[in-house]
Amino acid sequence: MPSDDPQLNNLVRECSDTIAEVYEACVASQPNFGVSSDSFTESVTDSISKFLCSGQEDLPSPDEVREFVRSIRSDDLFLAIACAEGNERAWWEFDHQHRGYLERISRHLASTDLSAQEVIDLVYVELYGTRVVDGVRMSKFATYSGKGSIRGWLRTVIWHALVDLHRASHDEVSLDGMTENVGEGYTHSTFKNKDLGGEDQMIDHLAHEKYRKATLESIRSSFSSLDDHEKLLLLYYHSEGLKLREIARLAESPGSPLRDWFQRRSAAREKDPSARIHESTIMRWLDKTYKLILERFCTDLSKEHGLKEEEIDICIELATRDLADPDIYRNLASNAG
Amino acid sequence: MNNKGINRDELFREILGAYLRSDTSSKEFEERDHLDGDTIAAFVEGNLSEREARPVNSHLVDCSFCRHRSAELIRLDLEFAEETAKAPEAKPAPTKVSDVLSGILGKILGAGEGAVFAHQEDEDNKEEDVKDDEEE
Repeated sequence: MPSDDPQLNNLVRECSDTIAEVYEACVASQPNFGVSSDSFTESVTDSISKFLCSGQEDLPSPDEVREFVRSIRSDDLFLAIACAEGNERAWWEFDHQHRGYLERISRHLASTDLSAQEVIDLVYVELYGTRVVDGVRMSKFATYSGKGSIRGWLRTVIWHALVDLHRASHDEVSLDGMTENVGEGYTHSTFKNKDLGGEDQMIDHLAHEKYRKATLESIRSSFSSLDDHEKLLLLYYHSEGLKLREIARLAESPGSPLRDWFQRRSAAREKDPSARIHESTIMRWLDKTYKLILERFCTDLSKEHGLKEEEIDICIELATRDLADPDIYRNLASNAG
Repeated sequence: MNNKGINRDELFREILGAYLRSDTSSKEFEERDHLDGDTIAAFVEGNLSEREARPVNSHLVDCSFCRHRSAELIRLDLEFAEETAKAPEAKPAPTKVSDVLSGILGKILGAGEGAVFAHQEDEDNKEEDVKDDEEE
């Protein structure tokens, strides 16, 4: 069934030779999966729509679509389509190739109160699909786009199955609460409530409000001036507690935009694009970024709030004292709103 | 208040960290607006092009829920890559998938659901009947 978007349909038609080429290669490799050219094209069209059209200002060019189609993990997608359609041979192949992997991830993730086997059972049921809509069985496989590897996708499916199982057994705890107890989750630091104490402290608190508000506004403004890559990496590091090697891992894939982004920031890397991005690369980038934000922060305090150098130091010192209560920023933000 | 000798660089890192942990920039998103597992998996593996990653990056900056999910999957990706490198994978012998699913559905949904794969069981029964006939 073609898409509802006529422009997308035209694009797909224009690139049908590439889609047909990829499809033929899949059929040659797995002739018994029974996937028709139409269902393959439909699935690829959904992936194009999802990654190249949704949330974008302009339509992709035919060349971009061709490149996208060639970048798809076509063997994995072909297997997923066949499994979604209930092909017995494809399921056998899936079981042969990936069951061991599924079991190992489940064992790795499942905590003592959740059995790995329970997770695997739930995942198989989801993958097969028990819900039928308009005569079509809703297999989880139909949500796989081929953009990442099927094993990466399976990791996500298992992780979510684990969250669901945990929620079911713990009366709907939040995702945050769940990740503190399951898998590789980490514990958020506990925020303590600020005690404003007596009258003197209250006056002191009010006197310093001006600096605190200026500090918050300038931090927000200097952080906003960064591009999304920079913001996200800082959030991963500080808010999610990712380690440098975990961030470096994100930039390891040769086609990763994050890798390209790091390379654009280093002349040496532009000369040697194959160079690995190590933890030290991320550390150096963090150092530079902190300096850049601090510069913008001080400029903002000076230009927008008219603060002198000594007052900027007061802002920093006050903010440092407030570190024992990170909620101060949340409270100030909600008051400002 | 003594402001002499204040180490702005180091203190500012701490302050910025506290600000980011307080997550003041987070917007509220409807359930349907969150990134799906397929997109997050492709992002975590670094498989999205610049164009494809742009809206994902932007969403992850604003949505603490999806960012948290993606961070957990980044951890898992690395942990598992290290574990896989240590222990080579032993492939189990595949079983008939209809048998596996039939058993699982029976366990989860009750005995009646075994009928989902009844067609397969019929074929198995036929095979067993033929064997019995041959033995006789």
